[in-house]
Amino acid sequence: MTRNEPSTEIEYAPCKLACPILTDAREYIQLIAERRFEEALTAIMSQNPLPRTCGRICTHPCEQVCKRGQVDEPVAIAALKRFAADGPWKDRLRQVLPKASSGHKVAVVGSGPSGLAAAHDLALLGHTVTVLEKLPIAGGMMAVGIPSYRLPRDVLEADIRTIEDLGVEVKTGVTFGNDVTVESLTGDGYQAIFLGTGLHLSRRLNVEGEDLPGVLKGVDFLRDVALGKPVTLDASVIVVGGGNVAIDVARTALRVGARDVLMVCLEKQEEMPAAESEIEEAREEGVAVVNCFGPKRFLENSGRLSGIEFKSCTCVFDEKGAFCPQYDENELTAMDADTVIVAIGQAADLSFAEKDGLTVTRRGGLEADPITLQTPIAGVFAGGDVISGPATVTKAIAAGKRAAVSIDFYLRGESIPRSEPAIADQVASLPPGVIERTRQFARSKIAGLPVEQRLSSFSEVGPPFSEDLATKEALRCLHCYLGARVNKEKCISCLTCLRVCPLQVPTVSKVGEITIDPFVCQACGMCALECPVQAIEISLDPGGEIAREVEKAIASSQHLERLIVGFFDLHGNFAKKDLKGLREDYPNVLPVMTFGLRRIDRSDILKAFECGADAVFLAGCPPNRDPFPEAGDRIKRRTAHARTQLEAVGLDGRRLEIFDMPDEGLVEKGSITELIQRIKEMEPSPLRVRR
Amino acid sequence: MITLEQKQFAQIKEMASHYDRLLVLGCQTCSAMSFAGGEREVKELASMIRMERKISGKPGDILEDAIARQCDPELVDLIGDKVRGCDAVLSLACGAGVQMLAERFPDKMILPGCNTTFLGVTEELGVWSERCAGCGDCILDKTAGLCPIARCSKQLLNGPCGGSVNGKCEISKDVDCVWQLIIDRLARLNRLEMLEEIFPVKDWSPAGHGGPRKMIIEDLKS
Amino acid sequence: MKSGSSLERILESGQFAVTAEAGPPKGSSSKVIQRKGDLLKFCCDALNVTDNQTAIVRMSSLSGCVLLKRLGVEPVLQMVVRDRNRLALQSDILGAAALGIHNVLCLSGDHQKFGNHPTAKGVYDIDSIQFIQMVKTMRDEHEFLNGEEISGDVPLFIGAAANPFADPFEFRVIRLAKKVKAGADFIQTQGIFDMPKFTEWMKMVRDRGLDEKTHILAGIIPVKSVGMARYMRNNVSGLSVPLEIVDRMADAKDPKEEGVKICLETIEQLKEVEGVHGIHIMAVAWEDIVPRIVEEAGLMPRPVV
Repeated sequence: MTRNEPSTEIEYAPCKLACPILTDAREYIQLIAERRFEEALTAIMSQNPLPRTCGRICTHPCEQVCKRGQVDEPVAIAALKRFAADGPWKDRLRQVLPKASSGHKVAVVGSGPSGLAAAHDLALLGHTVTVLEKLPIAGGMMAVGIPSYRLPRDVLEADIRTIEDLGVEVKTGVTFGNDVTVESLTGDGYQAIFLGTGLHLSRRLNVEGEDLPGVLKGVDFLRDVALGKPVTLDASVIVVGGGNVAIDVARTALRVGARDVLMVCLEKQEEMPAAESEIEEAREEGVAVVNCFGPKRFLENSGRLSGIEFKSCTCVFDEKGAFCPQYDENELTAMDADTVIVAIGQAADLSFAEKDGLTVTRRGGLEADPITLQTPIAGVFAGGDVISGPATVTKAIAAGKRAAVSIDFYLRGESIPRSEPAIADQVASLPPGVIERTRQFARSKIAGLPVEQRLSSFSEVGPPFSEDLATKEALRCLHCYLGARVNKEKCISCLTCLRVCPLQVPTVSKVGEITIDPFVCQACGMCALECPVQAIEISLDPGGEIAREVEKAIASSQHLERLIVGFFDLHGNFAKKDLKGLREDYPNVLPVMTFGLRRIDRSDILKAFECGADAVFLAGCPPNRDPFPEAGDRIKRRTAHARTQLEAVGLDGRRLEIFDMPDEGLVEKGSITELIQRIKEMEPSPLRVRR
Repeated sequence: MITLEQKQFAQIKEMASHYDRLLVLGCQTCSAMSFAGGEREVKELASMIRMERKISGKPGDILEDAIARQCDPELVDLIGDKVRGCDAVLSLACGAGVQMLAERFPDKMILPGCNTTFLGVTEELGVWSERCAGCGDCILDKTAGLCPIARCSKQLLNGPCGGSVNGKCEISKDVDCVWQLIIDRLARLNRLEMLEEIFPVKDWSPAGHGGPRKMIIEDLKS
Repeated sequence: MKSGSSLERILESGQFAVTAEAGPPKGSSSKVIQRKGDLLKFCCDALNVTDNQTAIVRMSSLSGCVLLKRLGVEPVLQMVVRDRNRLALQSDILGAAALGIHNVLCLSGDHQKFGNHPTAKGVYDIDSIQFIQMVKTMRDEHEFLNGEEISGDVPLFIGAAANPFADPFEFRVIRLAKKVKAGADFIQTQGIFDMPKFTEWMKMVRDRGLDEKTHILAGIIPVKSVGMARYMRNNVSGLSVPLEIVDRMADAKDPKEEGVKICLETIEQLKEVEGVHGIHIMAVAWEDIVPRIVEEAGLMPRPVV
């Protein structure tokens, strides 16, 4: 089935609104549910230039706000994205071709997420883009910051290759400020420059002994490991810091030979900035975490590091929530360590700035308009961590995309729009009654690699979803804003929607005005179908779409002797092989997939017969998979009514069947074979137009 | 609301069989609310007629449309062109709607696709029951708000008759004895003494037995 | 005397009255009525001629009454409001008076749905209580329902039905009181099987003093078979047949004899109930048994008044 965008696009699903690049997760999740994987990837790629990378390392704020999370657990959106981005269909995907060349040249400095995103979007807009990277490999922090057990290099490379396929040239080993400058690039014909140089310096603790041998900098350590420099740790390691980078450092340390890894941070366990899941995975691998200590000084023994002395940290944040650590200087603890890696934050290397006349802010970043990303120098834009401070890959991509839009306007000589990015309000709460009435389905979980296997290599920790698991997970989506919308001009306040809604979402006012909260509605389709004046539109499997699909299927199957239209509920947990098997075993069956038999109206059944179908069957999903099992009886009665209608016009009522799908597979062979046999014994449909 | 039910298809088929080009016209108020002739039923019925004709080799086009109400001339006139372009109209409105069409389109055959059933309430989705007989002289003040004219099988004003058993009417165990309900309700309201008086014979002339009814509001009419 | 009918005279003289039903045929032959009249004339004080009973079309009640009268039997004209509006009812009342019929039983009538013309339009212009009141006004005030004057007398003894076994039980006596107030001179009740309930009802009747304002004839239905007992128990609304009666009929070697026995026991008990002034025997399709029941109940010979 196709989906219509809601008529008023002001209502963003929470997942979309929470995403820095406004990825409409619903869209690709539904395509996955329908087993239209290639289209799912196309949908992702229309918004995200680094789909495979994001499928792995995105912090998925979308999941935190997912409506399903209010019922049981959020949809595993990140895992679904990774599934869609990784499948074999990715090679079949035809790249969207850029528009005809604009004749403009843009230089992008830095090949991190912001730079690549800017390059990708600028290329699609028809501009010629060159990406300049200081390091020997492209990818920025994605390549040299994020360890490969979280983001395999080939995955990142594939994403970069896709961008290169758009005509983007990536030059590595080019240092901005040394090899090229704003002036030289302008001289070479670049009309705009985007600076996405990131934060590649480690912040210092500024305590005694920090320059001793054996004290490493977190960012440098990760970069060295990533670039394949010989880094081996063979003894006890203390990692200072409690963020995601510190976790990456600790886990990487384990993989390059450290025996014991201890993380020490200021924050209490629940205050730690690192993602909970990552802390958990680190613990699983043997990383010990000690909270509420701040480094006082590094300890020395004959010119080499021997340990570190901590002071007790009593409080990290002030009343306003700002970082403002308080210590108890009297409570000191010394810990032995062969190596200490400091991972307390990153800073920008802005050595190029002064030469190029760029302004550095007090916080140590570049100055740029926070919305248009323009720097004080005409034609020079900047974005990503270097502007925002340390942030997620997705936020950097968002900045890159934003810069691309600004640069495009700039190149066309138009003023740059100053629209604020959409900001997520607080996500609305589902009414308790709706939560209670919503059927729970457990989130699909897949076991990660065993710990021993993880530690012995940099292999990816999380395995991907199988196709069947992915579709099952995608069917958990509750379809925010894709549900019922009342056309107030047509509505006659008959209250049918109110009475038929299994979740009791519609409400009515004293004057009879019906309101259906588009966030709360789960698009089951009952009201849209039963509405006697057809005043309710639905975006998921919209009205009339099913009948059109039937028409199309029959029109394209005229070569078949007998035509049987089978309406299937996507919630039946059938597998790819079942669909294939159906086509092979029963070539006469034309399957029409829907998000529930609730959506099949009598008129759809009649339409199938009117178009010449010899038989129609409805295959409902097993009740244990049906999100609205209470509708089952109504569907059976509706089908029985359709049968009497068929008989009234002179067709044998036995041409229409309804049955439940088995727990596995599409159809009970028995029931479908019996139906086919029955049809064969009858005359062909008198309504079939023979060509 | 006025309730309606769609006629049996066999009957519709028969009455429509004389006309090749047929407009199936829905009525989007009472008929739609009764699931007898709104847009949804128009779609279904038109599909059925097309199939039946194709099977029996009869010619003709089946057009579909629906208007907000068929009981108002201004609304009916809005589909004038479509009506003039066909041989007959199968109206899915109540008897009033059918007649309004006949009045506005004197040269066109208008066929009733529905039976007008009663004035009633929706008990629940798909269940309606009669409440008012439109007798033109409401007596609900004397019968605890429950109408014996509409709801007593014998329209007794001094009920219940001897057939009332366990709160049900003698004609069917599915029909409540309204007099039992009246007595129960008056008992609750502590007004049972109201039933000691003999209810006088009813004037049936406002109920239509005084000839076809008409209503005029002097200051509204033109 | 309101009407001068024998029934009125017997009841007013304080004697125990006996009436029975003589249903007219589904045809035009006068013989059926005549046969029933001949059979019952010596054991009953008056015979009710039913009016399209159970909504099945039969010869008109008025004709049946005339046929009985010719035999010298006193008829009770049953009239239901189901089939006649106020015009027809009044004209038939005038006709009945002209033909010398002096008893009328004013009824609602079984719903047409039960009969052999279930698609008929029921009239129900007025209800049975309004009907009673209308006849009383015609008799006592010489006025039609519309207030116009009637020429001549309408000497009718007005009867009504009462069902002590219908629901709501507490309301049944109120309804009887309304009928008495409307003008019912005598009451014929539904067939009695459930004696405790009947005596309870009668107590309520006496408490209101209604037994002194009207004559109550208790209904008797002779039961021929267990099938009939069961049918009445399960299918006839407003009839209360205790399981005990069904069991007795089922266990009986000779069900007909058992049926007679039940009738006689009932009559014996009814005689003892204060306020019961007679019995009304409804022996549908078993009229032959009536003389024996009356005889064995010790109610023969009938008084001559």
